Amino acid sequence: MRGLAGKLLHLDRRVIFVLIALATLIPLLRPIGLPVRISPEVRQVYDYIESLPAGSVFLLSLDFDPASKPELYPMAVALLNHAFKRDLRVIGMTLLVTGTGMAEKVVSGVASEHGKQQGRDYAFLGYSPGGSNVIIGMGQDLAAAFPTDHYGQRTTDLPVLQGVNSLRQVNYVISLAAGTPGVESWYVYGKEKYGFELGGGVTAVIAPGLYPFLDTGQINGLIGGLRGAAEYETLIGMKGKAVAGMDAQSATHFVIIGLILICNLFYFLTRRTTIRSFGSPQGRPGSPREAGR
Amino acid sequence: MTLFLRRTFPLLLTFLFGVAAALQYYIPHPLSEAALTEISVWLRIILGFAMILGIASLCHVHYAKIRTRAAGWGYSLVVYLSMLVTVAVGLWSRGQEEGTGFGWIYTYALLALQGTMFSILGFFVASAAFRAFRARSKEAAVLLVAALIVMFGRVPLGEYLIPAAGPLAGWILNVLNTAARRGILIGISLGGIATSIKIIFGIERSYLGGRD
Repeated sequence: MRGLAGKLLHLDRRVIFVLIALATLIPLLRPIGLPVRISPEVRQVYDYIESLPAGSVFLLSLDFDPASKPELYPMAVALLNHAFKRDLRVIGMTLLVTGTGMAEKVVSGVASEHGKQQGRDYAFLGYSPGGSNVIIGMGQDLAAAFPTDHYGQRTTDLPVLQGVNSLRQVNYVISLAAGTPGVESWYVYGKEKYGFELGGGVTAVIAPGLYPFLDTGQINGLIGGLRGAAEYETLIGMKGKAVAGMDAQSATHFVIIGLILICNLFYFLTRRTTIRSFGSPQGRPGSPREAGR
Repeated sequence: MTLFLRRTFPLLLTFLFGVAAALQYYIPHPLSEAALTEISVWLRIILGFAMILGIASLCHVHYAKIRTRAAGWGYSLVVYLSMLVTVAVGLWSRGQEEGTGFGWIYTYALLALQGTMFSILGFFVASAAFRAFRARSKEAAVLLVAALIVMFGRVPLGEYLIPAAGPLAGWILNVLNTAARRGILIGISLGGIATSIKIIFGIERSYLGGRD
């Protein structure tokens, strides 16, 4: 038994890769559609947008690049759908140059689905270099930070931006981020000084790090990972890519949970023999070298 | 004179701008606000030059690798080629993405490559979890149990099988995780303040290039 457990502990990683691939693919091809429970932090974002009167200014900063597209793109689609449905004045932008094309595509795509006109109902400012300094610049003078929008039109001439001279006139900002600059930058350099309400949408990896900001009210809501996006899609009654991906995420989590349990079972079964077999600390099961095999 | 330009002048500028920026936050006078607007424009211009410096540094590092035929020098060649092709196509397309070669590179190269890189992580995380996530000590066991509960409770299947798993995962994130994160954040913030004060008052000078 110990021998078998020892062999399984050294399972070829390609077997694990195949298991993960199958756990992702099968539910995507044959979805079950399990219900998604709505967490309070996602509902808070939804409720705040619901409470905004038509014509309020909503700024969505798509601070992510294609690497985080699977998690954050569905969030952007859901939020934009909600904002356009509520007839908010939408401003789209990005603080990451590699996210510009993707951000433009999602803002203009969802806007056209709702029959919204660029410049009149929404504006896409695009990218401006400077990271967090762009936020300070927008807080001081929006037209100075973005003299023209992504399409080369002067921002002062856009009807949708009439009366919006700086971030002080923005009602709600949501940063969809996968790192820095992101939600924290918008809080430190934006909300704290210019007084708008702020929400966050982030990848699952960085979501736990933002819970302290949620409890203190520094952000009023948090959409975390694909799960958060699926919750938001459920709230607005939309069957999008996030809801479709939740079955795959369920299966993948369960495969990983199973693998961790099996590995610990084998570890306890082989503990005595492995101490003899793996004399050097470098080769012990569980060591960094072992993990990379 | 050289010493003044290399050491005293940068220290003086750092002190003046550091103190002014800190005070500005608490003085919302129109004059102070106008100064902040002006400085934010300067900062963005300086960052633009920093980007040029970054590109020059990247080119230098990869050129050195190609010249010395260091391990993996072929990848450096790929960096050069992709950068030059993207810049050339970008200039040719006048920076426009819609229906241009630049847009094609963005959609079918950058987007696909970055997506693939991130997706591969999922496979490696699973493999690493199988090999390294073991209850080798009491602390590791606590971490393991917490991770299993959060992984179980954050997916619909877990909540469907055990309805209490979702709220339990939420409690771990909202209470235990927040408490630990808050401690880390306070520590980082105090460290940041201390370092800023040291830089403003010229005690920390490593940004000058390590010379006193």
